[in-house]
Amino acid sequence: MVIDLDKCTGCGACAVACQQENNVSFRPDESDKLRTIAWMTLYRLDNGKDYPEHREAMLPRPCMQCDSPHHSPCTFVCPVNATVRDEHTGIVDHIAVRCIGCRYCMVACPYHARSFNWWDPKWPKTMEAMLSPEVSPRMRGVVEKCTFCHHRLNRARDRARINGEDPDGVVYTPACAEACPTGAITFGNLRDPHSDVARLAKDPRAFRILEKLHTEPKVYYLSSDQWIHKQSDNDLS
Amino acid sequence: MGEVKNSTSKKGLGIVFFLAGFVGALILGWVVFPNLLYSSKTQPVTFLHSSHEDSSCEDCHYFRDDGSYSGVPGVAKCAECHEEPMTESEDERILVEEYIQQEREIPWLVYAWQPDNVYFSHAAHTEEQGIECVRCHRDVSAEEKMPVYKENRITGYSKNTMKMVECEKCHAEKGASNSCHICHK
Amino acid sequence: MSLGRRAFLQFVGGAIGGTLLTPIPWKLADDSAIWTQNWSWRPSPERGEITETTGTCLLCPGGCGIQARLVNGHRAIYVKGNPDHAVSRGGLCPVGAAGLQYLYAPYRITQPLKQTGKRGDPQGFQPIAWNEALKIVADKLAAVRKKGLPHTVACITGQDRSSVTDLWKQFFAAYGSPNLYTMPRHSDSTRLAVALATGYDADLGFHLEKATYVLNFGAPLLEGWAAPVRIQQIFSRWQTEQPGLPKTELVHVESRCSLTASKADRWIACKPGTEAALALGIAHVLIREKLYDAAFVSEKVFGFEDWTDAAGALRKGFKALVLAKYSPKDVAAVTGVDAQVIQELARELARQKNAVVLWGQSSDTPNNLYHDLAFLALNALIGALSDKAMVSLVPSQPWQALPEPAMDLEAFKGLGQKPLGQPTSVPKTKVRPNTLHAFLNALANGEEYPIELLFVHEANPAYGLSENTLAVQALQKAGMVVSFASYLDETAAYADLILPNHNAFERLDDVIGLPGAPFAFYAVATPILKPHYDTKSTGDVVLGLAKTLGGTVAQSLPWKNYEEVLKLRAAKIAEGATGLLVDATFDPASVEPGVSLRANFKKAADVWKKLTAGSCWVEAPQALDACTTPSGRFELACQGLLASVSTNAGDELFMAHYKPLPPSGNAGELPLLLTTYRSLSLAPGYVPNAPFMNKLLPDDLLLKQDVFVEVHPETARKLGLRHKAKAVLKTPLGEAPVRVRVAPTVPADVVALPEGLGHTAYDEYVQGKGVNANSLVEVHLDPVTGLGTVWATRAQLRLA
Repeated sequence: MVIDLDKCTGCGACAVACQQENNVSFRPDESDKLRTIAWMTLYRLDNGKDYPEHREAMLPRPCMQCDSPHHSPCTFVCPVNATVRDEHTGIVDHIAVRCIGCRYCMVACPYHARSFNWWDPKWPKTMEAMLSPEVSPRMRGVVEKCTFCHHRLNRARDRARINGEDPDGVVYTPACAEACPTGAITFGNLRDPHSDVARLAKDPRAFRILEKLHTEPKVYYLSSDQWIHKQSDNDLS
Repeated sequence: MGEVKNSTSKKGLGIVFFLAGFVGALILGWVVFPNLLYSSKTQPVTFLHSSHEDSSCEDCHYFRDDGSYSGVPGVAKCAECHEEPMTESEDERILVEEYIQQEREIPWLVYAWQPDNVYFSHAAHTEEQGIECVRCHRDVSAEEKMPVYKENRITGYSKNTMKMVECEKCHAEKGASNSCHICHK
Repeated sequence: MSLGRRAFLQFVGGAIGGTLLTPIPWKLADDSAIWTQNWSWRPSPERGEITETTGTCLLCPGGCGIQARLVNGHRAIYVKGNPDHAVSRGGLCPVGAAGLQYLYAPYRITQPLKQTGKRGDPQGFQPIAWNEALKIVADKLAAVRKKGLPHTVACITGQDRSSVTDLWKQFFAAYGSPNLYTMPRHSDSTRLAVALATGYDADLGFHLEKATYVLNFGAPLLEGWAAPVRIQQIFSRWQTEQPGLPKTELVHVESRCSLTASKADRWIACKPGTEAALALGIAHVLIREKLYDAAFVSEKVFGFEDWTDAAGALRKGFKALVLAKYSPKDVAAVTGVDAQVIQELARELARQKNAVVLWGQSSDTPNNLYHDLAFLALNALIGALSDKAMVSLVPSQPWQALPEPAMDLEAFKGLGQKPLGQPTSVPKTKVRPNTLHAFLNALANGEEYPIELLFVHEANPAYGLSENTLAVQALQKAGMVVSFASYLDETAAYADLILPNHNAFERLDDVIGLPGAPFAFYAVATPILKPHYDTKSTGDVVLGLAKTLGGTVAQSLPWKNYEEVLKLRAAKIAEGATGLLVDATFDPASVEPGVSLRANFKKAADVWKKLTAGSCWVEAPQALDACTTPSGRFELACQGLLASVSTNAGDELFMAHYKPLPPSGNAGELPLLLTTYRSLSLAPGYVPNAPFMNKLLPDDLLLKQDVFVEVHPETARKLGLRHKAKAVLKTPLGEAPVRVRVAPTVPADVVALPEGLGHTAYDEYVQGKGVNANSLVEVHLDPVTGLGTVWATRAQLRLA
């Protein structure tokens, strides 16, 4: 996935579409950011300068789907194999029903990409009608995170199968990329050198967050603002 | 000697007690417990595949264009033939009057029901791929009456719900991926 | 033999051994683990066939095409943009993406309700049958008309781009009342400005697709301006290098460091509300250095040079006044922008081939007429209104859709009455001034005449109107209040009768015209699923009421149902045989004013079929060759204002000039200026924030129930306020508890408050969060147009 921060206007359509698609639960008060559940979060960055040199930007953050086999921090610490990096697709799977809620992975994840179900997910009765059968609702006491909408991958593979196409050659779009009004989010197969994502990942504007940790995130960002590049390293040296 | 004998007989008696507990537990565990664990339920309407031999399997169980599988057909499908009762059967009367005419779906008890967190792809398990339907489902072709539906009192699953270990075993044997997201959602 | 302790232990030992060889322990452990995975109180979504339907989002005027995924045809689980749609091309904003949370909201009104207690008593609403409810309204309408007081029936609608509004217009004309209002928008004042300058009743369309340079005075482009998704996509195009095309430069003028300011190529920070002065300063440089489009100005513009008015008096022209009053030095003092920068901007603007000037305010409220005229004048000077048509005039109604209403004497008498509260100075143009604030003021204060019956349709003035307490007071004074709300909102709470409309996703409706777009536009919104409560389309209700009233009212609204009215639109399009039915391949840059598009359709049935399948009809706007002003030209000096200003008025009063309306209150007691801002993550309009959207709000914007105001570090230091401190924000309208976000996003002595919070209605996910900005801002009635304008309010911030 490549997210173009020059195009991103921080509107939040990606995050809302993600919540709708993935049955993410919500509560009356969502302002405790340590306890709120969000697979896609928008962070506000600023250049630290005074008025009128001040500038702000929004940075959407899905799960980075870290690629490094030994540094993918969450999978490394999970005691029950509930979160595992899939060799084939590169997706870092997290199976909520297997999770025992120890939250080691949350501690390990340097991107805060994981959320814990502190409460039973509860929808207003009338809103249970909008829950999708494509993603199972989670329960209290487990961790959850962005899956790159892998249920859409499964659907796309099934469609290919019945049409006699190669299920391994399918392309699909996650909810966030689909909703983005500015087309800031590009999704595809990084391993395919001809894909848009592979080309964009080599763009001079491209960077990854906390690259120095060698977690090898599969989410690239594009920005022409140097101050944004600089913050991506969080002063790690 | 008497003392020794006495102790031997005591020992023999001890084995009896031990065996009594042992055998009792076995009976409890293998005979009584399975019956206790499952409640028996009957289907809301009796449906016999054998009475529908004028239709092909694919008339009701087919792949949709998006690759998903229709599974158990909805009442709209039944209504295609049973708008009005075709026979005198009581079950058909129930079907027509309580479901078709009221546009209510039949709350079938699905023997092979999988929970919400499981994504099962029928498209990847077809006869063309060498997997017969009866590998997982019962053979319905000659069925005279519907089997009793056994529901696990703790989990609420059907007794016939396939467990993950079986999926994994077959996937491993066939060299299919055992990645979590292949089967979970 | 007795069973001793030993025997018992042996038995137990055997039992344990045996049990270990049975499935009991393993099965129980496994099953209880599974039980915890499937707690019965966790909802299990119904499975089934997933299908897609197409529709048009009606949650804002943006007209986005949507697709919804349904399970088994009756349960909507996901909304996405329609990739084939001509305008939104698959994009969506967060409000649209969260649209299902309105459809399935617990605060939906599920059936007609009647207030049985005192007005405003939330416990007093009782269900009532549709026919009884409609009879009450029809009887009231008949009785009022019988008394000869049809003008005492009024309506406030928030849906100004739908055929329902045309039905209301038709109904009010035939019934005989001038008191039909829409919720205030910026277009209320720009349309008056356009009417005065050109004689046309038209909305402004900006050719942003063609622009190479955009000078934007305060319009919140990325925070939900005009048709939000269209603007987002144009912005995205500006960010993309396109081979062979120059990159579009966006220069943004605003006092606050908004996202638009941050994302612009250049941000010019000015003092709050001084954008118009800066525009005139730039005009000054353009004129002084002869950088303006001289050909356009000399051929098509009136009032640039000195002129003689109808009475024969010689009056100064725009050139003379601007040269005299808006030198960069003077303007620098007003705006805080360097004189050097003003000159630079003017020269840069003049150098561009395709430049356009945009303007607006954070809130979509009417602007000071003279300021609107100033931005319009700047566009005229750079030739944006010439044949280049960077700015074009899009008729607010592309065709006369409904026949002339039949009017009896009663209707003529009623319609001839002065709209309640409207000042006499209001300029007489083709545009009906939407003087809602003046109306509510008069109603609340019992002036002129009472209102016997007030309809409120798709509007929530008790929350969403600037100075919303005025709306609350007015609602309490009206004889009878009938609401068509789908949700139990702040305004519906004051209704005597609620006749709930279908929700935005459930009803058949239409979208006439796209705000800010340089082409005429029409789209039909088809429901994405069947209404699931006992609600009725307001269009059908209006037609039904007309039928019951009979006579000329029934004659004027002869249609069987609302669908027939929409089909009539399709027929009109087919009959007109111009314009195109388009999908995502439509390129707005190909539309030229005055050059009608050759129709790609013939039969009305065809047009209807395509429109309901998600196609949009577009047509070129008219060319600006013949203005219908007294001079027949584009008037910088608006002669249409002669009747509105006194005969000995200064020359300035006919044309653009900078004149902020002074905020009330004492600068000593209220030393700060309060400005409000909006964000796409906060729904400020008819619908409140959906629960999903609340997740987007950072915890230094909303923390528990507290909203944060932005304050510059220097101001915070002066006031002794730390970051996150609790404070009290006070304006002449009242005070409210807030918290402080210390950030250099605003200049010193300015407080910025977000719009869209502070609801008191709806449910626990919405109410009680933060402060309603509308309850603290001050409305200034424009002395010429009578419209309620908002720009800045004096304020005080003190530690709580």
